[in-house]
Parts: sequence; structure tokens; C-alpha cells
Amino acid sequence: MGEIVLKGVSKIFGSNIVAVDNVDLTVNHGEFMVLLGPSGCGKTTVLRMIAGLEEVTSGDIIMDGKRINDVDPADRDLAIVFQNYALYPHKSVAGNLSFGLKLRKTPKPEIEKRVAHTAKLLGISELLDRKPRELSGGQQQRVALGRAMVRQPFAYLFDEPLSNLDAKLRTSMRTELIKLHQELATTIIHVTHDQVEAMTMGERICIMQSGRIVQIGHPLEVYRNPANAFVAGFLASPSMNLIDAVLNETEAGLVIEAGGTRLPVPDSFADSYGAHRGKTCTLGIRPEDLHTEPADENHVPVDVDVVTVEALGPETVLIVSLPDGKEIAARLERAFSAQIGSRLRLYANMNLMHLFEKESGQVIPVPRR
Amino acid sequence: MPGLSVLLAVVVFPLGYALLTSFYDYTLIKPTYDNFIGLGNYRGMLEEAYLGTSLWVTLKFVIASVVIEFSLGMAVAVAMNAVTRFKSFYYIILLAPLLINPVVVGLMWRMLLHSELGIVNYVIGLGGIAPINWLGNPKTAFWTVVLVDIWHQISFMVILLLAGLSSLPREPYEAARMDGASPRLCFIHITLPLMRPVIFIALLLRFIFAIKTFDIIYIMTKGGPGVATDLISYFIYRAAFFGLDIGRASAMSVALLILILALTSYLYRYMRSFK
Repeated sequence: MGEIVLKGVSKIFGSNIVAVDNVDLTVNHGEFMVLLGPSGCGKTTVLRMIAGLEEVTSGDIIMDGKRINDVDPADRDLAIVFQNYALYPHKSVAGNLSFGLKLRKTPKPEIEKRVAHTAKLLGISELLDRKPRELSGGQQQRVALGRAMVRQPFAYLFDEPLSNLDAKLRTSMRTELIKLHQELATTIIHVTHDQVEAMTMGERICIMQSGRIVQIGHPLEVYRNPANAFVAGFLASPSMNLIDAVLNETEAGLVIEAGGTRLPVPDSFADSYGAHRGKTCTLGIRPEDLHTEPADENHVPVDVDVVTVEALGPETVLIVSLPDGKEIAARLERAFSAQIGSRLRLYANMNLMHLFEKESGQVIPVPRR
Repeated sequence: MPGLSVLLAVVVFPLGYALLTSFYDYTLIKPTYDNFIGLGNYRGMLEEAYLGTSLWVTLKFVIASVVIEFSLGMAVAVAMNAVTRFKSFYYIILLAPLLINPVVVGLMWRMLLHSELGIVNYVIGLGGIAPINWLGNPKTAFWTVVLVDIWHQISFMVILLLAGLSSLPREPYEAARMDGASPRLCFIHITLPLMRPVIFIALLLRFIFAIKTFDIIYIMTKGGPGVATDLISYFIYRAAFFGLDIGRASAMSVALLILILALTSYLYRYMRSFK
């Protein structure tokens, strides 16, 4: 009970533009679910179908056990926060917050109580008499959030609400939204293309590509075990290095030949990879799994040339080229420095490597500790 | 510099010339600048027997045509904004009247509304309604002229409002839909406030154009019957070319210009204050 379920939901625009393709998703009651994906992957369309702003071509949307495909948006008891806030321009902040309640014929004292409470919670009590154009982006964002909260809906739908804010404000609003979710304990479906937002805010993330769901899971679970090369390349920044590779058998055992170098496969992966012997595939290794010192025998040396050095403060990101010229990223400690053009020996932690099938992009599963 | 000299020649020179003439007793019987009479023409203007009537008719005409054009125009624009198919077809139909020369509009409607030969009376006659003397009766002539002006000018209003409507953001409407607002409430609480700048420009332009209306009056009624449609621009025309008093007509033109400027600037400030 109390959950939002999508069963085989599709959306086709016009006669043949498939925006959402047979999506199955269950958002549990009180859960913070993030829909993540690049522009045009269909995540916003999914949200808009849940809201009722877009008709469902096929499939069912079920809320709290009831099918809501044909229920009017106003009667779904959902509140949406838009990317560009969509405030009523000529209404004061108080007017914006109370409009929905007035339309629902909520008694006046109750409206006043809820508006005051919401304004206090969001720290906008002093702004109640102002018009939207007199507010900063962050303040408008809060009002938009307040307009959703004041209705105390069944669930909140966030359509990239942080993407119009500057980087600093976005970080602080992120924290506030997490806190707010803990306080309200209401279901939130948050759409974003920002993987940092997804990683930090979501209790679960649902990654979409070309209208389909590719993977659903806890953020760290998805980070550690991406289902395919797309997820691997999309999550985290800098994202996982994906290198064309061939899996070969040698006297020393199974090796991956990639980037002009030869990397032995850890023994624990040999059984899983054995069936792919001789095949081309894609090697995935995260920038943070390249080190300057080996920690165990599965840290394999790779000689690279330094292309660029990005000293970010907390860390240093190197772009280096492999012997065959392929450029990859390495994320090293903050004290690290290197000359551009110099030769460097890095150690790839093969315990944390991934191998994806070349054709399908699907990960070849391995047992991990 | 060439641009400036053209501007001087076509705008400033006629204005200055009219202003100069308004201070002289300059008539078509004696077209010379011998007799400087200062503000004499302006004083004389105030003694004109029918000036007040003409101003009143003009005011009624401007208010009636602009208000009806705006209300109808907004309704049509909102309807057209929702149309997805055959939009360009509707545009062409809608734009057609605006592309017709006002003199042609006047002639066309004069024929259509002719009390004995006009097709309008024929058609309403089929429904058993007695023929109406559209332009010959002082009571109907005014509204007939107003309706013809609306027919001619409404597409201007529709096009301007439609351009505004089609550029409005979608999200506030969706937010209102989620809040449970009806289309009527959306119109009042979102469309009108967001459209305010466009509405303001549309009203201001139509207001200025309506005060200057001359062509359809000249063609259809010559200000009559009696003074029922004697708009100020036609009144001035009569002073100049029937009364032959160019000096007096110039004085009235200058006064009208000042009046329009004053009203425009007042309206501009008034509408800007709505924020």
C-alpha cells in the first residue's frame, strides 16, 4: 500500500516516436526515487504521465492500489515542482502557496495555518508578500517547493528542480531536500540528468536510456555493479574508462588485451570470463581505481603518458594516454603532481574492473567480495 | 545623415508646416501667410459649434471599436492558440481583411449594406426581417461603421495577441492544472497577467489608430447622416476642404496631435503601473 506502480507503461508521440518503452517501476511508500538519464531518455515523460499531464499510450499507472490512468491531474493528489518553478507571476508568495488550497475549498484558517507552517519550514516567512519577480532563483525555488508542500500530497514529483540554480545553491538545496524528505516522510520521485544529485539524494535510482529502464538500485549498488556499459559511462564524474579489449588465454592464465597493454584477469573472475575467451569486449575501469602504488597482486602496472593534469584541490585528475594512444582518466590524491608529457606507471585495481559484452553492452557478471 | 534628412523631410517638416499654418489666417480663398493671428485659430476652434459633438462621437467610436475588437480578438486568439491543425489556413482567412485597403473595405461594405441593392438586406430578408437602412439611419449608421471597422481591424488584434499567447510558458498552466484550476481560472490567473505587456501594446496601437480613422467614414458616410459618424479626423478634413479654412484645420490637427500624445502617455503610464 501507499506505493506508485508503473506496469508496462509506454508513451508514443505522434505515430512512431517512442518516448517511453514498456516501463515497469515500483516506487515504495515514503521512498526517494531518482529517475536518472541523459536528455531525451524519457524520464520527464514518465514523471508527466504519473502527474497526469501526459496521456499513457499503453500500460497502467497504479497509485495506492488504484489505477489512475484516467484520473484528472487535479484529483491524483500529487504535486509537481517544475524546473523553471512555474510560479503564478502576479500572485504574491502567499497567493502562490494558497492558490491550490483555495481551489480545493480548504477552510481559510486551515489555509493560513498551512501557509505559515510551510513558509517557516522553508525559511520564506519574510517573503510572503513579495511577487515572484522580486525573488532570487533560490527563493523562487523554495516557493515552488512550498506550493507543492502546502497541499500535503500523496507524493511529490520533482522535474529537475535544481538545474536552474547555481552550483553552490544547488548543493545546499540538495541537502535541504534530503532533510525535508526525512521530515515529511512522503514519496518523492525526482527526475534529473545530474548524476551527483542522483547519487546523493536517491534512496534508489532508476537509470533510463532511450525510453527504457536500464537499471534500478541503491546508488552505491549501481555505482559498484553497473548493469551495462551505458550505466558505467553515465554514473560518476569523471565516468568509468571504457576501453575496447580482447579476452585471451595465455600460459599465465586469462588476460585482457586493451589499450596496447596486457592485463591479467584476477583468478576469482576466471570462471565467469572463461566463456568469453577470444571475444572482443569492453573493459571498464573507474578513474579512482587507478593508483600510483600497488596494494596487492591484482594491481596491475600500466605505463602511460600524461596528457593533462587537473588539480581540483581535493583530488587531481589526470588524463593519460595508453600505449596505443587511447586516452583515459585517472583520479589521484590531492598531493600528486606530474609533468605533462612525462611517462608514468599507474596500477589498475583489477579486483574492481568490469567487462562488458561488445555487442549488447551488458556486463559479464563476476562474484565480488 | 541621409536617414535623418529623410526623417526631417517627411515627419518634422509637415508637422512644423502645420504648426506654422495654425498661427495664420490661411484659407484656400486667400492662401498666403500675410495675416498672423497668433492663437486666433485655436480660440476659434473652441467656438466651433459641432467640435464637441465630433469629439464625443470619436470617443464613443474609439471605445466601442477597441473594446469589442479586444474582447472578440482575445477570444479568437485563445481559440486559435489551441488549434493544432490547419493553422496556416486560418491565418490566411484571418489576415485577409487586414490586407485590404481601407478605401476598398469602405466601398465593399457600402455595396453589401446598400439598403435596396445590398446582399445583407437580401439575406436577412430571407429570414423575414425587414430591410434596414444601415448607413442612412443615424441610429444604425454609427454601429454599422463601428462593425465595419472591427471587421477590418480585428485581425490585427488577433495576430498580436496570438503571437503573445503562443510564446507563453507551458508550466504555469500545468501547475494550475495540478492545483485544480479550470480553464477560466487559468485564463484569469495566468494568461491575463502574463499577457499584460502584449495586451498593453495591442490596445495602445489600436487606440491610436482608431482615433485617426478617416477612410471608411469618408467612403461610407461622409460623417453623416447628420453628424452621427462625424469622427474628428473627418471633421478636420471638412474644415479644410469644405470650409476652405486651412489655418483653422491646422490648429485642430495640432490640438488633436497634442491630445493623442497626452492620452497615449497617460495610458502608457497607467498600464505600466499595473505590475
